[in-house]
Amino acid sequence: MIYTYLITAGIVLVSTLIQGHQSFDVIRIAGVKPDLIFIITVYMGYSFGSFNGEVTGFGGGLLHDSISNSPLGLMALPKLAIGFLAGMFGRSVLKSNIATIILMIFVATILKGIITLFLSYIFHQGMLTSIIDVIIPEAFYNAILSPMLFFIYDKIFQGELEREGYL
Amino acid sequence: MEFLIRHKSIVTFIFCTLFCIISLSVQGSGFTLTFEGIISGIFSPFQKGYNAMQGGTSRFWAGFSELDRVRDDLKLTRAKLETYEGLDEDLNEIRNENLRLRSLLGMKERLRYESIPAFVISKDPDNWFRTVIINRGSNDGITVNMPVVAYQGETKAVIGKIVEVRGSLSRIQPVISPDVRIGVKVGESKYPGLLTGYAFNSNLCKVDYITRAAQIKFGDPIVTSGQAGVFPPGFVIGTVVKTELPESSPYQKIIVRPVIDYNLIEEVFIIKKNPDKDLFELFEEMQ
Repeated sequence: MIYTYLITAGIVLVSTLIQGHQSFDVIRIAGVKPDLIFIITVYMGYSFGSFNGEVTGFGGGLLHDSISNSPLGLMALPKLAIGFLAGMFGRSVLKSNIATIILMIFVATILKGIITLFLSYIFHQGMLTSIIDVIIPEAFYNAILSPMLFFIYDKIFQGELEREGYL
Repeated sequence: MEFLIRHKSIVTFIFCTLFCIISLSVQGSGFTLTFEGIISGIFSPFQKGYNAMQGGTSRFWAGFSELDRVRDDLKLTRAKLETYEGLDEDLNEIRNENLRLRSLLGMKERLRYESIPAFVISKDPDNWFRTVIINRGSNDGITVNMPVVAYQGETKAVIGKIVEVRGSLSRIQPVISPDVRIGVKVGESKYPGLLTGYAFNSNLCKVDYITRAAQIKFGDPIVTSGQAGVFPPGFVIGTVVKTELPESSPYQKIIVRPVIDYNLIEEVFIIKKNPDKDLFELFEEMQ
């Protein structure tokens, strides 16, 4: 399990670098970037249960907040919640195939966006236009990328998944 | 203890949720900033390390691939330099005339500010908040609320202000962020207004509270008013691209395209000017 934690931390760090570094601005389409930290959060919840999902989401979200202008916790809380929820369904309920992954990431991103917007309204400054400008485009982008990323993560965590009996 | 272990996912969820809610509630307090600072401090070496590696590789590669381009640029620069040398004499004459006229009119000499160059090492990691992190911090004498400018070609324009400073890193809040508030003047008649970012993932700004009677046209410049004490007056921000006259509002709204393309910002200059304390405090109170 230590191996899983270390690899997850590595993936979260690399994802944060990709999202934060300006040389990766080319991945921005229609003004939005994919949320790679969020995708690994959902993957961890989906594959290894609520605990792993929420810890990845919380840790990744705090990193995200630390390099963003967002107040600490605004990006961490939605990721934590979705990581927890993804773990409640998991591979035993939602079978792993491309359609399921795309749909799951799309719905999860919409949910994350709604939670972020809600928190922004309460604690910061919310704009309803972000549903059209941010949430929906990001959901499409995350959903399109997710099968490829899930495939890569499946390869990385192959040993662990075999032990859990998923592969 | 057994209960905690058995229900560790729910316990962790509740604990982390509480942490986030408390942190969001006390945002801006020392506690939040200190904690965020610790995380940022741990993570910043990775960012800087990656930046150094990427910069080094780019420079190494440029040594081979861009030699011809550099040679051409050198020729062009020399030609420009000759032109500018010719202009120097004219410029001195205009400067002296300007000084003489200013003294005749009894105007104070315009303040010149020292500026520090910096490189962008990170930009917004998400689609909600606009962030620019640069490689200069308190070690270089940078403090919060210093204005930041950049050049696009030969045009200098405001891109934001410093909102957070660490040892060798600072965070900029760009003018396109919906969180920013800058007092501006619009057009040749200098109608006053308040500039903010247009939307979370837009590269445009908007100016509110412009009187309906103001005659504003496409391309009119937007400059800082200097009224909040952060930005010096007369710094260019952008140009008008659209005006809106909502029937329900006593004001008109202007959509502004910043002079500096946010996606192209690589090098910035921090103006070493601390906010005018009284003005700044008054503005903060009003907000």
